[in-house]
Amino acid sequence: MLHSVRFSFLALGLMLTGCSAPDPQTRASSELASEVFRPAYAAWAVSSQQLTGSAEALCGGSIELTAARQSLVNAQTSWAALQPLQLGLITEGNRSWRVQFWPDKKNLVGRQIEALLNKNPQPSQEDLKKASVVVQGLSAYEYLLFDPAIDLSQADAKARYCPLLEEIAQYQKLLADEVFQDWEAADGIASQLESFPNPRYADAHAAIGDLLRTQINGLDVMKKKLGTPLGVQSKGIPQPYQADAWRSGESLNNLAAGLASARLVWQGQADNGLRSLLDASQQPLAKQIDQAYADTLQQLDILRQSQTPLFTADGSHTRLQALYTSLDQLHRLHERELAKALDVQLGFNAHDGD
Amino acid sequence: MQRRAFLGIGGSLLATAALGSWVISRSGEQPLLLSARDDKYGRHYAVGYRLDGRQQFSTPVAQRCHDVVAHPGLPLALFVARRPGTQSYLLDLRDGQLLQTLDSPPDRHFYGHALFDQRGDWLYSTENDTSDPGRGVIGVYQLQGQRLQRQSELSSHGIGPHQLAWMPDGQTLVVANGGIRTEADSRTPLNPQAMESSLVLLDRSGTLLSKDQLAQQLNSIRHLAVASDGSIVTAQQYQGALTDNAPLLAIKRPAQQLQPFAVAEAQRMTMQQYCASVAIHNELRLIALSAPRGNRLFIWNMDSGQLRLDEHLPDCAGVASTADGFVASSGVTGCRAYACRGANIEPQALQLPAGLWDNHLRLS
Repeated sequence: MLHSVRFSFLALGLMLTGCSAPDPQTRASSELASEVFRPAYAAWAVSSQQLTGSAEALCGGSIELTAARQSLVNAQTSWAALQPLQLGLITEGNRSWRVQFWPDKKNLVGRQIEALLNKNPQPSQEDLKKASVVVQGLSAYEYLLFDPAIDLSQADAKARYCPLLEEIAQYQKLLADEVFQDWEAADGIASQLESFPNPRYADAHAAIGDLLRTQINGLDVMKKKLGTPLGVQSKGIPQPYQADAWRSGESLNNLAAGLASARLVWQGQADNGLRSLLDASQQPLAKQIDQAYADTLQQLDILRQSQTPLFTADGSHTRLQALYTSLDQLHRLHERELAKALDVQLGFNAHDGD
Repeated sequence: MQRRAFLGIGGSLLATAALGSWVISRSGEQPLLLSARDDKYGRHYAVGYRLDGRQQFSTPVAQRCHDVVAHPGLPLALFVARRPGTQSYLLDLRDGQLLQTLDSPPDRHFYGHALFDQRGDWLYSTENDTSDPGRGVIGVYQLQGQRLQRQSELSSHGIGPHQLAWMPDGQTLVVANGGIRTEADSRTPLNPQAMESSLVLLDRSGTLLSKDQLAQQLNSIRHLAVASDGSIVTAQQYQGALTDNAPLLAIKRPAQQLQPFAVAEAQRMTMQQYCASVAIHNELRLIALSAPRGNRLFIWNMDSGQLRLDEHLPDCAGVASTADGFVASSGVTGCRAYACRGANIEPQALQLPAGLWDNHLRLS
């Protein structure tokens, strides 16, 4: 039954589009799906797969802690790259929370892991599935590998934490596989970004709207992940332990990965992203956004090369503030100007409801 | 992932299919969907569309509106100003003619919701006493001909009242006091650390009958719906951290206290601490809830708690019950109908303009 419905949509789409070349919005949507979104989800699935091998090897004593930490950083980075690409199954059923728990204002990650292990020293995959999202994801994995109170190169620490470490890795692998399969499936999210109408989008413009909203939402979250430890929401008082990867020190690299993806949505892999939809009269805006990306990435590069501790009252505060201002400007250009230029409505009720 | 056959989207044939099961209204026409709406330039409108897509009216209004309250017998409705608006608009539903611009009195502004009594003689409106910011009052207006005349006011027995409804007896009001103090011309909370949200029942004279509160001080009870058996369902907007575990849907069953409605973590966290509209289908005993920040529309069985629908609907906004289920609007995409009588709930696209629908809708 569902197949016949799907074929009906396909037939209807073919009738409506005929044999002509796809319109620019269909082309941009389709190519962003296949050339930007899908590869990013594939990379995340691969890095999650590698996490399972890494956890087993660390716990079995065949690799050092440093190597295991690098596997986590790879998974964190590939996950951070999805920040402006969160569309489809990852947005459903709480999945993104299951990958990363942020903000963790009360150190719930540390407290709940210790409480879980005190109660159940050998949690199974089933136990983990039933547990809180707080202990299921990369934030929990990062705690196990990087928290100053835990040294997983030591046998006693391995005895306590390895069962959970391996289950988290397995859980993440299964989750990433499930989400990636939806990008691969014949009737999955990618197919719904390729031809119209379909069960999700009435036309290509609706899909472009969703892609832009996804990108803008990602930029907004990246801004919050930078602004929160910087003290933007706490009267300027830095909150270094509220950085999204404070234990591993990878927060800025995560931001860089997210920004790279956001820029790809803008430019496309071959000048076929959202930018390609602006007409000649809108080129000044296109150049403004190009420049905003260049500015933000430049600010970020300066900070990444610096060895100064982040998110402390002195240190790199001024430069981080400049980065935040630049990112804020980039976000606003998308939210206010690009959305208007592409005639896309943002969250009317989500952002301005009551 | 559950895949559903989604009718939608292309053309009048599908539109006809989507509307095939609607009950025709008394006038022999499709039900009239009433809502506040904007255009892409930010101008505000009070609109009425038949569910088959025909525009009945689109009346420009100066202030953005929130909810709409239709008169129970006459073809008129009040489009209520969104907080801190000071103008609500009484319209003739036949052609959208503006009958009256209802100005709030000095030191008062509207909070977005109101309702007529069963006979349609009186209208009750939640309002802010801006001389004591946040003190909740209920303005009482009498319909005289085609004009509303303010006669008195009642206390809402709380801070920042928002939606209100009648209990089945038609004599008892239930009011969601959001608990947030705001000043005139402002939407900025004055008491983020001292919120005091409550659900109160009062009689028509304003006498407090009961007051319920949820455990977390930061949980703002905003919207509600009342079932024919007297169960009250409330939708919350939690003002604390995204990661806090706050019940965003609650229920006060007859003779019981207000308590969280069991929502699985997967759905609760998707809501991002923010719900917009809630509606009840009395015959099917269903609750529909829109969560625009999570871009989800949910439907549960009110008695068993079973989740019937967890649907991607970007920026979903208003939701109202129909003969066969619900209709829902969106701030960014098309409106949908949900036929709920079968084993699976089937979404259907409505041939209404896409996007820019405000927080609530009503069917008349």
